[in-house]
Amino acid sequence: MKTAQVIYENGDHRWLAIVRDPDRPGYLVDTNEYLVSVGEDAILLDPGGSEIFPSVFSALCAEYDPRRISKIFASHQDPDIISSLSMWMEFNPDIKCYISWLWAGFVPHFGGTGDTFIPIPDPGTDIPVGRERLRAIPAHYLHSSGNFNLYDPKAKILFSGDIGAALLPPGDNGLFVENFDRHIAHAEAFHRRWMGSERAKRDWCARVADLDIDMLCPQHGAIYRGADVRRFIDWFAQLDIGAVKS
Amino acid sequence: MTQAAGTGGELRRIVRINEEIKSVVATAFKINLMAMNAIFLAKRAGQAALGFSVLSNELRRFATDLQQQMEVLRQMTHGSVASVTALVKTERLNRVVDRMRDELSGQARAMIERYLRNRQTTSFVLHQEAIATQNRRLSQTIADTAQLVELGSVLARSAKIEAAYGGSFSAALMQVSSDFEHTIAEIHRSLEQLSRHHD
Repeated sequence: MKTAQVIYENGDHRWLAIVRDPDRPGYLVDTNEYLVSVGEDAILLDPGGSEIFPSVFSALCAEYDPRRISKIFASHQDPDIISSLSMWMEFNPDIKCYISWLWAGFVPHFGGTGDTFIPIPDPGTDIPVGRERLRAIPAHYLHSSGNFNLYDPKAKILFSGDIGAALLPPGDNGLFVENFDRHIAHAEAFHRRWMGSERAKRDWCARVADLDIDMLCPQHGAIYRGADVRRFIDWFAQLDIGAVKS
Repeated sequence: MTQAAGTGGELRRIVRINEEIKSVVATAFKINLMAMNAIFLAKRAGQAALGFSVLSNELRRFATDLQQQMEVLRQMTHGSVASVTALVKTERLNRVVDRMRDELSGQARAMIERYLRNRQTTSFVLHQEAIATQNRRLSQTIADTAQLVELGSVLARSAKIEAAYGGSFSAALMQVSSDFEHTIAEIHRSLEQLSRHHD
């Protein structure tokens, strides 16, 4: 079963990371899900694939009452991100799903109706959670053509989706990056192969370099903290991407 | 679980059970801390509170056993979520196949109808049976927990009796044992809620 760990807490404003299921089948890519709660409201970020819904739901229940989740944020359309949508809709038919307008006509194949989705325009949007406003930041073509990160200016946390992702080897399952150079070796092949646009990459790096970020939370792998956030952005900025190497 | 109750209703029921489990765990942790303080108090009271000291140790053990029991319950609810999820997937597939059947005619339609009769019913029944089995186990575990909590009540009452022999520490020991009684009564109430959500 996964565990839900508090990675940020300030009064009733919390971030939970739902991570690391030792019983996960090896053929499923490992994912991180995140919950941002402010007071009695909460948003679930990239809720996960249908195969891991029981694990995510149970881990979440141990730390938070999921009846308070009013929104889902889907960074993009991939099944490991949002194919559990039909389960979440069974649990709470009133949940709203924020996703790039590009995918609003595709993701209903995973669940939901016309009323479920709040399409995000390409420049992004603010998403209210309790008294706070989180910001959907464009990250198109990294890797999906309609792709967003989510920034919490109060917590100084950027949920970066697939950017920053690392496919960690068995046994290397720490929640946070402790040794950047050793960690980034597990991220390099993924970023070279998956990130498709040099221009989009440069734009993203410039955009997030202006943000005040204490934690960069990817959908796969470990979380970057403190100086490692800037290290990652600089590393990504100079990385050669968008080519299949034989 | 009936079709009328729905898989969504089943998930919400599991959430309500989990909220009560969390409440009991928090209270059990409180009892553990109280029992530790009681042990220190009994030590200061010396010989006069030997009996009270023994009971405080038992109450610590009770708190630990209760936390472990809640963990067992929590694991069971995880199993229930897995079964409900499988049911949701089956229902979704069945709805698609139903629509397919409605658009077909002749032999193709007859084939789909045979499929629906066999697989649909079988899968649905299997998942429902799994959920029913898990619910029976959950009931048994809740009943076992109720017995454990009854033991806790007996320990708390006994501690109150022993407190009376605590000499100059008697008043303090009585206060501590009253706190135990009230706190265990909280657990009784949570368990009753848990039982109600489960039924």
